[in-house]
Amino acid sequence: MSSATQIKDTLNIQREIPPPRSYSQPYWEATRDKKLLLQYDPKVGRYQFFPRAAGIATGHRDLEWREVSGKGEVFSFTIARRTREPFRGHEPFFIVLVTLDEGVNVMANMVDCSLEEMKIGLRVKPYWHPLPNGTHQLMFTPDR
Amino acid sequence: MPGIMPGIYLFLNSTSRMRTAGRKSSDATLSFIDYAGRDENLLRKRMALRDAAIIGYAETKIMEKETRDIWEMGAEILEKLLDKTGFEKKDIDGLILSSSMTGAGNPFWSQTTADQLALELDFCQIVDIGGCSPTGALARACAAIDAGLATTVMCLYADTQSSDNNRRARGFEAEWTAPVGYLGPPAAFGFLSKRYEHQFGLDYAMLGKLAVAQRGHAVLNDLACEKLRKPITVDDYLNSRMIADPVRLLDSVMVCDGASGLIVTSAKNAKARGIGKYVVPLGYGERTNYRVSENIVDVTETGHKVAGQRAFAQAGLTPKDIASYHPYDDFIIAIMLQLEMLGFCKHGQGCDFIRERDFTHTGDLPLNTGGGQISAGQAGLAGGGTNLVEAVRQLFGEGGKRQVKNTKNALVTGIGGIPYGRNWSSSVVMILAPGN
Repeated sequence: MSSATQIKDTLNIQREIPPPRSYSQPYWEATRDKKLLLQYDPKVGRYQFFPRAAGIATGHRDLEWREVSGKGEVFSFTIARRTREPFRGHEPFFIVLVTLDEGVNVMANMVDCSLEEMKIGLRVKPYWHPLPNGTHQLMFTPDR
Repeated sequence: MPGIMPGIYLFLNSTSRMRTAGRKSSDATLSFIDYAGRDENLLRKRMALRDAAIIGYAETKIMEKETRDIWEMGAEILEKLLDKTGFEKKDIDGLILSSSMTGAGNPFWSQTTADQLALELDFCQIVDIGGCSPTGALARACAAIDAGLATTVMCLYADTQSSDNNRRARGFEAEWTAPVGYLGPPAAFGFLSKRYEHQFGLDYAMLGKLAVAQRGHAVLNDLACEKLRKPITVDDYLNSRMIADPVRLLDSVMVCDGASGLIVTSAKNAKARGIGKYVVPLGYGERTNYRVSENIVDVTETGHKVAGQRAFAQAGLTPKDIASYHPYDDFIIAIMLQLEMLGFCKHGQGCDFIRERDFTHTGDLPLNTGGGQISAGQAGLAGGGTNLVEAVRQLFGEGGKRQVKNTKNALVTGIGGIPYGRNWSSSVVMILAPGN
């Protein structure tokens, strides 16, 4: 990993619209207003991500949707150097796993972050990238 | 059982018996409570692995792109198995396939394949736990024979992922990972490697040592993919280009086409048929979705921890007893993580262990003596059969130029599926030994 590597943003990529499932619809609807909703299991007092049809702790379905700040820190990261369409030609770019302050890991791209700045533990905040259907793709940017 | 710490083995009133369990006893009253609070005593009857006999194995050459149809490759495996064992086609009453990308669009895959090979069966199924499927299929063959569902089972591992991929994934990918340009395995191992480096430090030259040892074995393996049969050095490994930092090209498998297979019957039947040489499974553990009920897991810890504990307990062996090591290798670091999880060394000390050991076929812990998937080529989802069949070949004493000296046993593993934000979905461990 040479420090000369110029990491690119992924803002100019024409992404496919992610296909929601019956139980993940609220997440995508909330992104229209740049709000991050997570499933919350009141039985165990825990959030979960990605959205699932049942609580991962109990197997029961009585989950709530709660809005969270989307702030957190980098759990791990990699640099994608070989990808498929529509990402081809936009490499290298970061893919990060971010631990939100609410205790879940979310996978995303980074905006406005250099290789020098990137590290495990880096504080980040949400960056909402518009998609053609009015929803937004969650990305992160350093919380400087 | 109050007061029992999770993850600790308890040898209840049979410590000495376990130590001397040897080949026969598989009913030792051993208890294990895993991290999830699951009590191994609930598995009251241990699978009668030792009553099963692997009487033959077969492999095709691994091709970067196979021009033959997958069923022609299946026919090659069937014919080789029949020739090797002297069994006739009518003796095979069970078929278990591993999953394949070729068959991924066909919901009748095992049935259709049986039809193409003209097998009349009492038991027919597919195992779809990714790279764990081949070893998982062998375990299920033993269980089916033990349960009386079949007497002789052909395990067929065939995939032409490189030339004929019919995969249509329905999982989290389209919604949660495709939109970030995540290609699955390379990025997942990028995350994992970065975490390992962060938590323990990582000497990449030690991963290079593993890559070099496996490549040396592929050079000795005529069935390995030709493109990969050129020796490499640790510097070649370190200087190979980044795929998903810090994962390098020489960390990674190359998707190929290939097939392999085993034929399994009861040890009793093998003896009755006058078969003098066979291989017996001593222990098996399988875990899918290790710690799936937790949001954030240590990605340097894997399901092989619990699968390995079970396999070693059933076998009555410890890591020190293992004669050759045939782990699933999709990325080099997986070999090291499994060494740690299986207890060859402590968690986080894999590099030190690698530094001290010799992994060549003449060394003190021979590693994937056919080259592993990384140096022999990954036969798609059938790739989990490559290292398994190599272990069986070694125990038959038919390793040729790469034959290991110590054939007391061999340990084989599987890794299957890449989940969201964890390391892998399924982990299997099997310990094999000559049966006679």
